Amino acid sequence: MTLLELENVAVTYGRIEALHGISLTVNEGEVVALIGANGAGKTTTMRAISGTRSLASGKITFNGEDISKLRADLRVVRGLCQSPEGRQIFPGMTVMENLDMGAYTRRDSAGIAADLDRVLTLFPRLAERRKQAGGTLSGGEQQMLAVGRALMSRPKLLLLDEPSMGLAPLVIRQIFDIITEINQQGTTILLVEQNAQQALSRAHRGYVLETGRS
Amino acid sequence: MHFDELIGHLGQHTVDGLSKGAIYALIALGYTLVYGVLRLINFAHSEVFMVGTFAVLILWNQLGVENNPPVGQAILFLVLGLVVAAAASGGTALALERVAYRPLRRKNAPPLIFLITAIGLSLVFVELFGQVLPKLLGGALPDVFGRPRQIVGMPTIIQQETLFTIGNTAITNIQLIVFIAAVAMMALLDWFINRTRYGRGVRAVAQNPETAALMGVNQERVIMLIFVLGGIMAGAAALLWSMRFGFTQNSIGFVLGLKAFTAAVLGGIGNLRGALLGGLFLGIVEVYGATLFASNWEDVIAFVVLIVVLMFRPTGLLGESLGRARA
Ligand SMILES: Nc1ncnc2c1ncn2[C@@H]1O[C@H](COP(=O)(O)OP(=O)(O)OP(=O)(O)O)[C@@H](O)[C@H]1O
Ligand SMILES: [Mg+2]
Repeated sequence: MTLLELENVAVTYGRIEALHGISLTVNEGEVVALIGANGAGKTTTMRAISGTRSLASGKITFNGEDISKLRADLRVVRGLCQSPEGRQIFPGMTVMENLDMGAYTRRDSAGIAADLDRVLTLFPRLAERRKQAGGTLSGGEQQMLAVGRALMSRPKLLLLDEPSMGLAPLVIRQIFDIITEINQQGTTILLVEQNAQQALSRAHRGYVLETGRS
Repeated sequence: MHFDELIGHLGQHTVDGLSKGAIYALIALGYTLVYGVLRLINFAHSEVFMVGTFAVLILWNQLGVENNPPVGQAILFLVLGLVVAAAASGGTALALERVAYRPLRRKNAPPLIFLITAIGLSLVFVELFGQVLPKLLGGALPDVFGRPRQIVGMPTIIQQETLFTIGNTAITNIQLIVFIAAVAMMALLDWFINRTRYGRGVRAVAQNPETAALMGVNQERVIMLIFVLGGIMAGAAALLWSMRFGFTQNSIGFVLGLKAFTAAVLGGIGNLRGALLGGLFLGIVEVYGATLFASNWEDVIAFVVLIVVLMFRPTGLLGESLGRARA
């Protein structure tokens, strides 16, 4: 079943058009990779899906609902959550508070506690550093926190923008293993990667963005 | 220089300064909250405070409050005053945000436009309360509003008297109430921002607005919340001011707002605990300075201290941010 569908999505920054009408679909249960050169518009695509950038034209359907004009925070409620490029940890919050931010829209405390357990099992490093300020974590730890934080919303679709950026090869392997594991636990994933080989080896399907076209 | 006087009664001057600074600190919170989230200096916040004092004035007039009511009634008048002032100031702050700032944000206006708008709004309020309000209210409150631009007196709810003495330092009932009430309000706000889910949303937007949205935080709601919270704190300050000094006027916000803003910058604007520290510090320094030189020097001293502190610590005493300052 189609979970996410982009139809001729165009996004502009001022006068510059960064996406010239791209289309893609993500089916339930898949890992889909979105690859492309620097500046191709991968992050812009993620922003359009998450709603932090509005569309110049085109349509985004999520879970059968047209979300093209839906506010970003409401898309999280619908089951979309992104781990953004560059981690974007809240620097002044502890690891635990950052994780709690992922569950911001949820009220089911039992479910939140279960997901917290799951995240801390996936990333034991975070468990050791619960009280540490996010801004003082190492790059790899921040990346784990960013992925864990997004998981805390228990998304139907997890958007990952370059989760391997700036990490050592060993850590990259770990992160990708965890991505596979999360997927096997039932979360659909749209993955943006610079590292095409690594990404495609883990994905069911892939799209290549060539400066704003898919 | 009255050095002997300052040293001889150091305790007394410190107590006086603390109770003065507590009011600055409460108002300073409004500047700091809005700055922390929007990087905007809401210069109209001084008028949010002013509206609060008028709300108290009108309430007490409507209730027919007389000087020195019995204790039970006094407490009732103060509590009602707090509720009404908080509602009036909180409402005014929210209205400013909705009517003036939000449309500007929608249009991505540059920072300077916000600043000019804030100053303009401030003037509008001062004039409104000086000219229009008295006319609108007509003869309803003649002795109060009949003389625009003049100081309007309020009934004395609590007679100032010394509660206890430590050495040669006398602490009055009013000083104690002002200090405890102000610190309690600030502790409540601190708890709300650092310990509750909504507070976490506020900090998230302050630290990284785009990612906060990705986590499902409704930014517009957070912005409304901080204006209301800042307004409530200014309302509390308005009540304490009314109780302690027993007067208001349409231009009252100007100097107090400037002092509170100074306190916020002194403590590190954007930092809640910095506002407390900056307010108390400023209050003490002013009283010391006024003792050392002469009381008409106190405003000068406040700003000299600001400049000196910023020379050595450009980000204020506690440094930046709802963001970094985890607690
Ligand atoms: N905020 C912005 N303002 C103006 N232009 C932007 C903005 N963000 C991105 N762009 C432009 O849009 C185009 C696509 O950028 P985008 O960040 O989506 O690329 P990307 O594929 O994610 O690249 P990378 O692999 O380097 O992360 C680029 O030409 C970029 O310069
Ligand atoms: Mg990118």
